[in-house]
Amino acid sequence: MDQDRLDSLFERYRAACPEVEPGPNFMPDLWQKIDARQSFWSVFDRFGVKLTTASAAICLLLLALNLFFAPGTLNLAPTYMDALMAEHSAERTAYTEAIRRAPADMPAVAAPAR
Amino acid sequence: MLVEPELIERARAADGQAFNQIVLAYRKRILGTISRLIGRPEDVEDVAQEVFVRLYYSLDQLRTPEVFEPWLYRLTVNAAYDYLRRRKRRAESRMSDLSEQQVLMADSAAGVKQEESDREKSRLRDFMDSLFRHVSEEDRILLVLKEVEGLSLRELEQIYHVKENALKVRLFRARQRVLKAYQAASEAGSL
Repeated sequence: MDQDRLDSLFERYRAACPEVEPGPNFMPDLWQKIDARQSFWSVFDRFGVKLTTASAAICLLLLALNLFFAPGTLNLAPTYMDALMAEHSAERTAYTEAIRRAPADMPAVAAPAR
Repeated sequence: MLVEPELIERARAADGQAFNQIVLAYRKRILGTISRLIGRPEDVEDVAQEVFVRLYYSLDQLRTPEVFEPWLYRLTVNAAYDYLRRRKRRAESRMSDLSEQQVLMADSAAGVKQEESDREKSRLRDFMDSLFRHVSEEDRILLVLKEVEGLSLRELEQIYHVKENALKVRLFRARQRVLKAYQAASEAGSL
């Protein structure tokens, strides 16, 4: 019974909601709203495109620098580590040990004639 | 469908004329649905325009023209839902110090110059609005689509992308809450 009353209430509600006719400015207002939103987003769009282009350009520039001036091709001042390495290898080359040669290996020396 | 699938395809390809034709074909139906969903004739046109703005910017996401109508209904439901939530927030901030009865009196006082039948209709809409406050905005919309708009469960399934059984349960619960509020209001003599 209550369910029927509720159904009837819904029906009356449907009848109570007027059929809304679109106003004369419905379409112009709609296009105005579409354009307004488009211009709002286009600001972000343009900014985004510029930012992406600039980022891509910087990446390319860094990549080119990396390729053309790879370590070794560039004559830069030696770093502290480079200097240490150079010093170390110089020490090693300066170090020499006396070589004792075995007697058999000695060349035969002619004895002086008496 | 009220328009040919080719027209939808053209609108998807950013054809302004085709989009205009779609709006002209559907605007009256959408205005009617929104009017019943939100129950406020003065705001219907604004909400309907919001639906079509959203349609304009989301047409490229439409998979096939065959699902256009459920898609449009979905946009309508979302726009109505956003409006109801906004209205609830506004009402809470403006009228938090007024009782329900005072709000209804304020509304009816504003309509003194209206015709008797118009006032009766307005009172009924306000009464239904007070009943719908016993359910969430989502349930209000679901209930109106089913009970007032007359959509079938299958159509609702397409709009909500939810199984029929889940919809049935939700509808039943919402209906029971509204019925309980209706009984309480009847006993109190509100209508």
